Parts: sequence; C-alpha cells; structure tokens
Amino acid sequence: MIINHPLLGPRDSEEFVYLGSADLIDRPDWESRTVADDFHQYQYIRENIAGDNRELWYHEQGDQSWLLVTRNTLTHEIINVELAQDVSRSMGRGK
Amino acid sequence: MSDYTLTKESPLNGVEHEFDGITIAEVIDQSLVMVAMPRDKVDKIDSAIKKSCGLSIPTMGHSTHSSDALITLWRLQKNQVLAYYPYAGDDAEADIADKLNAPAYYTDQSDTWAMIRVSGERSRDVLERICPLDLDPDKFTIGSVARTVMEHIGTIIYRDGDDSYVLLTMRSFSHSMLHAIEVSVKNVL
Repeated sequence: MIINHPLLGPRDSEEFVYLGSADLIDRPDWESRTVADDFHQYQYIRENIAGDNRELWYHEQGDQSWLLVTRNTLTHEIINVELAQDVSRSMGRGK
Repeated sequence: MSDYTLTKESPLNGVEHEFDGITIAEVIDQSLVMVAMPRDKVDKIDSAIKKSCGLSIPTMGHSTHSSDALITLWRLQKNQVLAYYPYAGDDAEADIADKLNAPAYYTDQSDTWAMIRVSGERSRDVLERICPLDLDPDKFTIGSVARTVMEHIGTIIYRDGDDSYVLLTMRSFSHSMLHAIEVSVKNVL
C-alpha cells in the first residue's frame, strides 16, 4: 500500500503507524456539561464503516507528521491524504 | 577526576570494502547537527544563514550548500534542517551555531549516527534491493535526501554524487545496516 504524503510524495505504508479514526482529532471540551458522555463517545464509540473511512496515520519512519488518510476499507484504495495539522487548524483547533 | 582518557571511535571503525563496481566505506569526517526552526523564526533564520554562509533553507527532500560548499543542509521535516559538514572536533553544536549565526536551536547528533557511503556504478543495483524509495537517477536527483526504512532500520539516504549515496542509521544499528548492505552486494554480484 502506498500513501501519497502531501510533503514527501509516495511512501510505502511500512514507514507509517496506524492510529485509528480521525474522530480522535476532535477531543471534547473537558469543561462541558456533558463531558462524561462526550468522552465516552470520543473514546469508545466508532462507526464500523464499509467504505470511505477517515483515519490517522503517523509517519514514524519519516518526517514524524500525522496524516489524515481517507481510505476505502473495502478496496484499500487511498482516496485522499492531508496533513492532520492542517485539518485540525481548519477545524479551529490549536494555534 | 578519573585518570582515564576516553578515545573517540567511529561506530564501524572506518570500515571499507571494495567490490566489482561497488565501494562501501564508513564516512568518518562528517558531523551532523539538528537545527530546529521555531515556526515564527523561519524567515529570520533563512536570511541569517544567507548572510553568514550563503545558505538557504532547502525545500522538503532536498539539500542546499554554503557558498564555500562545506556545509550542507538537509530538509527532512517541516520544522527542522540537519547540517551535515566536515568537522572533527568535539563540539559541533557550538561550532555550527557560530558559523550559521541564526536564531535556531542546535543539537549535536554526530555521534548518534553511523554514516556509510555506497558508491560505484552498481551502487543503485545494491540499494534498490533494500530501499523502498524510487532511486531513479532522474527522480532521486543529486542532492536529494529522504528518511525511510531499509531492512526494518530507520535510515536517512542522501545522494552526494552521480553514483554515490550516504546512508545514515542510528549508531546501535550500524552493524546490522552494514550487514544488510553486504548481503545486498552478494545478491547483486
């Protein structure tokens, strides 16, 4: 499987570590009134998607960047690769 | 104070092997210093190193050279560069900080890496068996640099000539890396 890194070009998936759903970017607000439910949802509840899944991959044996990879779980086709940093900032998180 | 004096040793004791069309040799005269660039200082650093050494910050996967061609900068990551340059002393960090004279953060990594040069007209035949990157001479051009995995070992590969590549692995992996290269040479010849 080849992941087309936005900065480095095509790289073998051997260089990466898989983390899981991209939902993990959206960490709930710890001061929210519904914090227990929010964190339960954040930590445990996942859709088991048969199709395009947005997931986090870490380029451990490369530039140590986090990527948001959209992958089809049925065909393993990689549809889109973005820097998680950019996605996170566009969601209004971080600096 | 102890009476012992520590002697500096390179990870592979300066190993050098000649084969038909391939030479493997440890690089022992180069130092490596990480230059971390805070996000808001990248422009300042770029103009400072231009002024001090005629250097510029390379684009991702490429390198740049100082005007005296001694210092080479490698860009493997967004927020840092690696300075690769000949230096035999014991404080590369202070030395390069003085040379570059830029508001960056320096960390000497010279002794943590083993550097092996694979050169010769058949060097690519040897490397293509262990390196997952496309080493086509027109794609991985002279001056290209990348961090990848070879035989499960994290490796930096830098092309410093037509048929010359420098491989860097963590010092503790140096013998495993040398073995991987030697096995590949046997398979090719």
